[in-house]
Amino acid sequence: MGLFELFQLLIIGLYLCGTVLFLVGTAAENSRLKRLAGFLAVAGFFLHSADIVLVFMQSQNVALNSGATYLSILAWSTLVIYFFFWWRFRLEFMALTALPLALLLFLTSLAFSGIRVVMPQRLTMLFLGLHIGTLVVAMGVLVMGFGAGIAFLHYNKKIKTKAGLKTLGKDTPSLSIFDRVNHLVVAFGFPLYTFGLFSSFVWYWIAPSKQFTWDVMKISSLAVWVIFAFLFHQRMLLGWKGRKPATLMIVVFVAMVVSLLHHTITFRQMP
Amino acid sequence: MNRKIYLIGLNHKTASVDVRERFALSDIENFEQRLDCCDDIRECLVLSTCNRVEIVVVAQGRDADIFDEVYTNWAGACGGPVELLLEHTYQYTGLDAVQHLFTVACSLDSLVMGEPQILGQLKDAYRNAVDSGTARTIVNRLLHKAFSVAKRVRTETSIASSAVSISFAAVELAKKIFGDLEGKCALLVGAGEMAELAATHLMNNGVQSLLIANRTFARAKVLAATMSGHPISFEEMPSRLHEADIVISSTGSPTAVLKAREVRDVLKKRKNRSMFFIDIAVPRDIDPDVNNLDNVYLYDIDDLKEVVEENMSQRQEEAVKALAVVDTETEKFGMWLKSLTLQPTIADMVSSSEDMARKELEKTLRRLGTVDQKTRDALETLVLSISRKVLHEPICFLKRRTQEEDAADRFINIARRMFNLDNEIISPMAHLDRKGISRECSPDDVEAFIEAAKKEQ
Repeated sequence: MGLFELFQLLIIGLYLCGTVLFLVGTAAENSRLKRLAGFLAVAGFFLHSADIVLVFMQSQNVALNSGATYLSILAWSTLVIYFFFWWRFRLEFMALTALPLALLLFLTSLAFSGIRVVMPQRLTMLFLGLHIGTLVVAMGVLVMGFGAGIAFLHYNKKIKTKAGLKTLGKDTPSLSIFDRVNHLVVAFGFPLYTFGLFSSFVWYWIAPSKQFTWDVMKISSLAVWVIFAFLFHQRMLLGWKGRKPATLMIVVFVAMVVSLLHHTITFRQMP
Repeated sequence: MNRKIYLIGLNHKTASVDVRERFALSDIENFEQRLDCCDDIRECLVLSTCNRVEIVVVAQGRDADIFDEVYTNWAGACGGPVELLLEHTYQYTGLDAVQHLFTVACSLDSLVMGEPQILGQLKDAYRNAVDSGTARTIVNRLLHKAFSVAKRVRTETSIASSAVSISFAAVELAKKIFGDLEGKCALLVGAGEMAELAATHLMNNGVQSLLIANRTFARAKVLAATMSGHPISFEEMPSRLHEADIVISSTGSPTAVLKAREVRDVLKKRKNRSMFFIDIAVPRDIDPDVNNLDNVYLYDIDDLKEVVEENMSQRQEEAVKALAVVDTETEKFGMWLKSLTLQPTIADMVSSSEDMARKELEKTLRRLGTVDQKTRDALETLVLSISRKVLHEPICFLKRRTQEEDAADRFINIARRMFNLDNEIISPMAHLDRKGISRECSPDDVEAFIEAAKKEQ
């Protein structure tokens, strides 16, 4: 077994243990288990960071041409953003979304290691930086928005209907915190997504060998952008708060995941 | 005879309010001093609140005498008959007393289970006992342990996590919606007692400004002065409603004071910022449809009562976990108490062994003649170290065996006799009639016995 395989197994083990322990800790209201899950996630994250660095050190071209790298970076970004929200808003329980998703993305990156990403010859780094980079970060941000949205709807229903208030522990963040996360995700996520999406259109425009044509991939990405733009407008300009932006955030996230899956399938079909 | 912990007390379960009033101790310091002067009592501590009186004493003597002493003093201090006191009090001794005190400290025996005040009252009582010099080794340790058990119970169980009064439940719910209440504005519509209490709790939890609207403006002004709020006229209330994050309503109006349509308009003005309505009035002041609006949460008196009942039942469930913690900690304290019984014996064993080592060292030094100070110190360290090391195993054995049920006294007695720690004068011929042994027990005989035993090995 090589160093990479060992690393990957360790990362999977740590993420898996972290996820399971956090789920059990949440169900059993055991803060020690949750803390332990946090430590395991942090350990997995450090190994994951080392793994990405090693992949790029081995061969930058191979790394950039492999679809697995992007999914791995996406998993890594999800955790970076989760750690930020954990540190800033004490939203520990967002691990319920972030940890399983990071694990799933990491596993997917291994399963789809055969996918070859055809990199453009010119402006490669600019394309990577603007298009892929911003979209990966936007996706990570949206994961948090998705988690906060689900949590908001769940707890909002409980408080509205007065049913099951007992399960709202003293450590459960308030509705205003979830709404604030939604606000931040919309405020930062939308510009990032816009930048990522339109940078690819610009690239089509400036690359001499490329011709821009509308296809399902571009239309689906644009459709996601339109929904996200609507959410951005309603939230930032009309002052939407609470249930509606939370619901729409979930819609945007799901649409983005579908679009991402579609992209993955399209990449697989490439020669 | 060893020192023992006694606890005598009365509480809301054993005594009615008039009995509790009659036997509440006001001059605790004086009472503790008086108890401390009693022959058998070594330490004492008194806790006296509106719901309970707990008298903890550490004493050495007959149980009946000690209880008598406490009852006489207590009845004397309160000017009541001892018989009445006997009728309404409970008595605990030893570990039962420890367990009861831990239960009290954890607020498991309180009228409102899990309430935090009792721990503060116990801390005050302990401070008084320390100041009057009646808390010594055992009471000190007992109270420190009681505080740590209470802390453990609070962190490991949810005994105190949920509100069990209407006003606190309202504050807790507000926190679930807004998080930090810092900088929030509350509006009091009407001036009922419960609404006033809820508003006070909200202010204590960070609510920055309070608007008070009442049909009688003068009443609103008086209330505003006492609660540092701003009075507004009842007619002005709809136009100021958008300023309020939390609205507490308790008017005597037979119809709804606030309609869903009005609140919808207010929400627009507030740019959809959340609002929390607490309707304590009967009949209700706020249209129930208000709760159907987004970002608006409405709780009426029945909803709040339900929350309180749910929280109470949750506390009952948590009490089972808390009692398990109390049991474990009581057992640990019992071990410490037992080790306390052993401490004088260990001290005597070490001191006797060191005396012996020093005597032998003196003999050796006399034989050696002139010895420099450095060598003398080194030899002294050596003999003292050996004298202590030799005792390690016997001490460990005693520590283990004295933890066994009812074994402490027996093993301590054996150890004391074995090492002759009480300097008993034993005749050289003692016990020789048993099993027909005819050997004597002088120091020379013992030496000869050791030599013979070594050879046989």
